[in-house]
Amino acid sequence: MRTHPDPLRVDFHLLDRQIVDLHGALVGKVDDVELDLTPDGVPHVTALLVGQRALGHRLGGALGRWLTSVAERLHGPERRPPLRIAFSHVARIGSAVHLSVPAELLDTPPLENWLRTHLIGRIPGARHEGR
Amino acid sequence: MKRLLGVTLGILTAIGGFVDIGDLVANSETGARFGMRLAWVVVLGVVGICVYAEMAGRVAAVSGRPVFDLVRERLGPRVGLANLLGSYLVTMLTLAAEVGGVALAVELVTGVHYLLWVPVAAFVIWVVLWRVRFETMERVFGLAGLALVVFVVALVGLGPSWGDFATQATTLGPPGEEDWGTYGFFAVALFAAAMTPYEVFFFSSGGVEERWTRKDLITERVNVFVGFPLGGLLSLAIMACAATVYLPEGVRVDTLGQVALPVALSLGKLGLAVVILGFFAATFGAALETGLSAGYTIAQYFGWQWGKRVRPRQAARFHTVVLVGFLVAVALLLTTVDPIAVTEYSLVFSALALPLTYLPILVVANDRDYLGDRVNGRAANVLGVFYLVVILLAALAAIPLMLLTGMGS
Repeated sequence: MRTHPDPLRVDFHLLDRQIVDLHGALVGKVDDVELDLTPDGVPHVTALLVGQRALGHRLGGALGRWLTSVAERLHGPERRPPLRIAFSHVARIGSAVHLSVPAELLDTPPLENWLRTHLIGRIPGARHEGR
Repeated sequence: MKRLLGVTLGILTAIGGFVDIGDLVANSETGARFGMRLAWVVVLGVVGICVYAEMAGRVAAVSGRPVFDLVRERLGPRVGLANLLGSYLVTMLTLAAEVGGVALAVELVTGVHYLLWVPVAAFVIWVVLWRVRFETMERVFGLAGLALVVFVVALVGLGPSWGDFATQATTLGPPGEEDWGTYGFFAVALFAAAMTPYEVFFFSSGGVEERWTRKDLITERVNVFVGFPLGGLLSLAIMACAATVYLPEGVRVDTLGQVALPVALSLGKLGLAVVILGFFAATFGAALETGLSAGYTIAQYFGWQWGKRVRPRQAARFHTVVLVGFLVAVALLLTTVDPIAVTEYSLVFSALALPLTYLPILVVANDRDYLGDRVNGRAANVLGVFYLVVILLAALAAIPLMLLTGMGS
């Protein structure tokens, strides 16, 4: 079975698609991609970039700057680079981008982490299984 | 029985579009002012939402992608963000109105002013969202909302002149004492309510929450083709009850009590009790629908983990958006704004949200990468394009008509 569309169009098949981990958990969107050139000059995708900051940089303009600054404010003082997922972790590209690794191996986004510890995790029943 | 319970997602979704607090009053007001002259808009709306909810549900069942994933993916982050803004504002204004509606329904029973019930109602609704399983929630409030079928019984009991209804329904244009401006405004408002975007957000996300797959396409279609026509039928029954009781007297309808009165006249105290139960369930259900949809749209735009299938702490950003939604709704209501008037203002934002929601659904419903052999047939595409044109016209007309008629007054 074909795992990647051929030819792979970055704008059509990758950008803005949902990223899903090995177990079906939602990781984020493909907010941007990292490209590199092979020795003979052919461009190829090396990584997927995830997060509002990556999205803000891609959009540019006033809207992009606004998204980036909101993201940076939410992320706190430490300026970490956006979540980077090596393209070798991509198992299959369909209506979503499926990874071959579980989400636990990737960095949890700082905003999710903060809300988990300080807000949602403190409400009784937060650990309760949905169903 | 299992089959019957399987359609409650469609019923609950349709309640939010056809008989939530704004629509309960708007349907009744339309009946009181125009008789059944605008009934065709409800029929047009039912077919439209059926066409698009079916596509959105099919995409969700086959590919697992809910509507806002498609919006971002096909329209890109910029236009997607414009849609997010419009949709979020529609959804939030409606959520506030529904919380107010639940409080108003409780006021009808207790006589205690609704503003005192607003924080209680918001808290109880949020607790249900936080703790109750998606399917339990959908069944309880979908089925309880069916208490509104009492309007159909009441209508028969009132013994209306069916001939007059038929004449009104087949004449195009306003009655003598109204003008084309108000007629147009109410037509656009009814149509926009029927096609309101949070219905497809909720329906498709609900399909994902229920883990629909390709095998559930029959369930998906039964949900669409039972749920929305039933919502439309309730809407027409409310309109016809008001047309029978209020139109001859020239009475204006603007409160929930007036919406219930025809049922009390026809069926007495028992009928009144059932109708108040129906109001409560419908507004409560619509509050669940809009409260979740606010979270669904934002989480799906940014790709965050969402939904009630996972532990809440695994979806902390999604649950925060939902929680903030309820706090904003309470704050808005405590400014003593009229909850029923609030839904009318959401029409402004619908103009932005409607075309930008339905276009990507139509495009993806034709994409074999998503749907394989389940792409749209010719009929779905012809209807889809036709409705896209109608939606565009309604969106363009909404704001001028609103300003021209002063919200139809």
